[in-house]
Amino acid sequence: MITQMQVKGLMFDPYNNAYIVVLRDEDEAEMLPIWVGKSEASAISLALEHMAPPRPMTHDFMKSFLDAYNAKVISVVITDLNEHTYFAKIHLMYEDSEYAVDSRPSDAIALAIRSEAPIFANESVIRKQNSEELEQWLENLKPEDFGKLDS
Amino acid sequence: MSDSVHSNSLDLIPLSVSRVVEDANTDTRILVLTRTDDQDTFMIWVGAPEGDSIRRALDSATPPRPMSHDLVKSFGEHFGITTKRVVLTDVKSSTYYATVFLENKGVERSIDARPSDAIALALRTHAPIYTTQDVWKRRSGQHLDAWLAKLDTKDIDTQEV
Repeated sequence: MITQMQVKGLMFDPYNNAYIVVLRDEDEAEMLPIWVGKSEASAISLALEHMAPPRPMTHDFMKSFLDAYNAKVISVVITDLNEHTYFAKIHLMYEDSEYAVDSRPSDAIALAIRSEAPIFANESVIRKQNSEELEQWLENLKPEDFGKLDS
Repeated sequence: MSDSVHSNSLDLIPLSVSRVVEDANTDTRILVLTRTDDQDTFMIWVGAPEGDSIRRALDSATPPRPMSHDLVKSFGEHFGITTKRVVLTDVKSSTYYATVFLENKGVERSIDARPSDAIALALRTHAPIYTTQDVWKRRSGQHLDAWLAKLDTKDIDTQEV
């Protein structure tokens, strides 16, 4: 099962000195935060704001490469989450054949927005994200957080 | 633009990327390009992520996940699109312009690119890199001016802070 997601926005995470791309489903019931680097965040932000930079940026170049031979991005799927690393697939149509290309989610999302292609997430990723979040929360608990129970 | 590059193709100057240097003053990288015919060099400034991507290609480093230019290469491999060559075609106020020449089943296409993206792809696909006689003539002296301009700007910024 896959769920269609919308890019809700970008946030700065000062704790990790990174950016978070926030994806939400249409009912806003599920949220998928994806940590990306500064240049990946800027590639996504330029596309969200429909900014046309004076020179083609890397993902504009990527799109020109596909456009040159009429290859179309059909969709992008966030497929897996493993040890805090997200995996994605870009589905393309080229000369009547469908291709699925392995990618980082940041490249997939930056390209999807420029190609006006939908973004999906596997339900297992959303479930795993919830449990990894819980794990991270547990890891961050300090001994004194437990100590409170005694006193 | 691509036609003039074709007709002058005999006059193209072959280049290789010698190294990528960190510019300590700005968040940029300096690409040192060498003429393969006479070892004369020139420099162009590129963004940090693009410069790092070029460095990874020079080191033949394979990152655990495909980075942006690895993805472009992967598209080419899936569809049978070959990168024939990359040409630095123009320079205007210290900004260099590049064209990437692609080929698929005998059909050639050319796309506009920044030199950094063009070179990052060329190194990954073992495509030759060239510049024109015109760009080569106009590059001289400019690297020094640009270098000084960047240093000046940085100094002023630091004083203001």
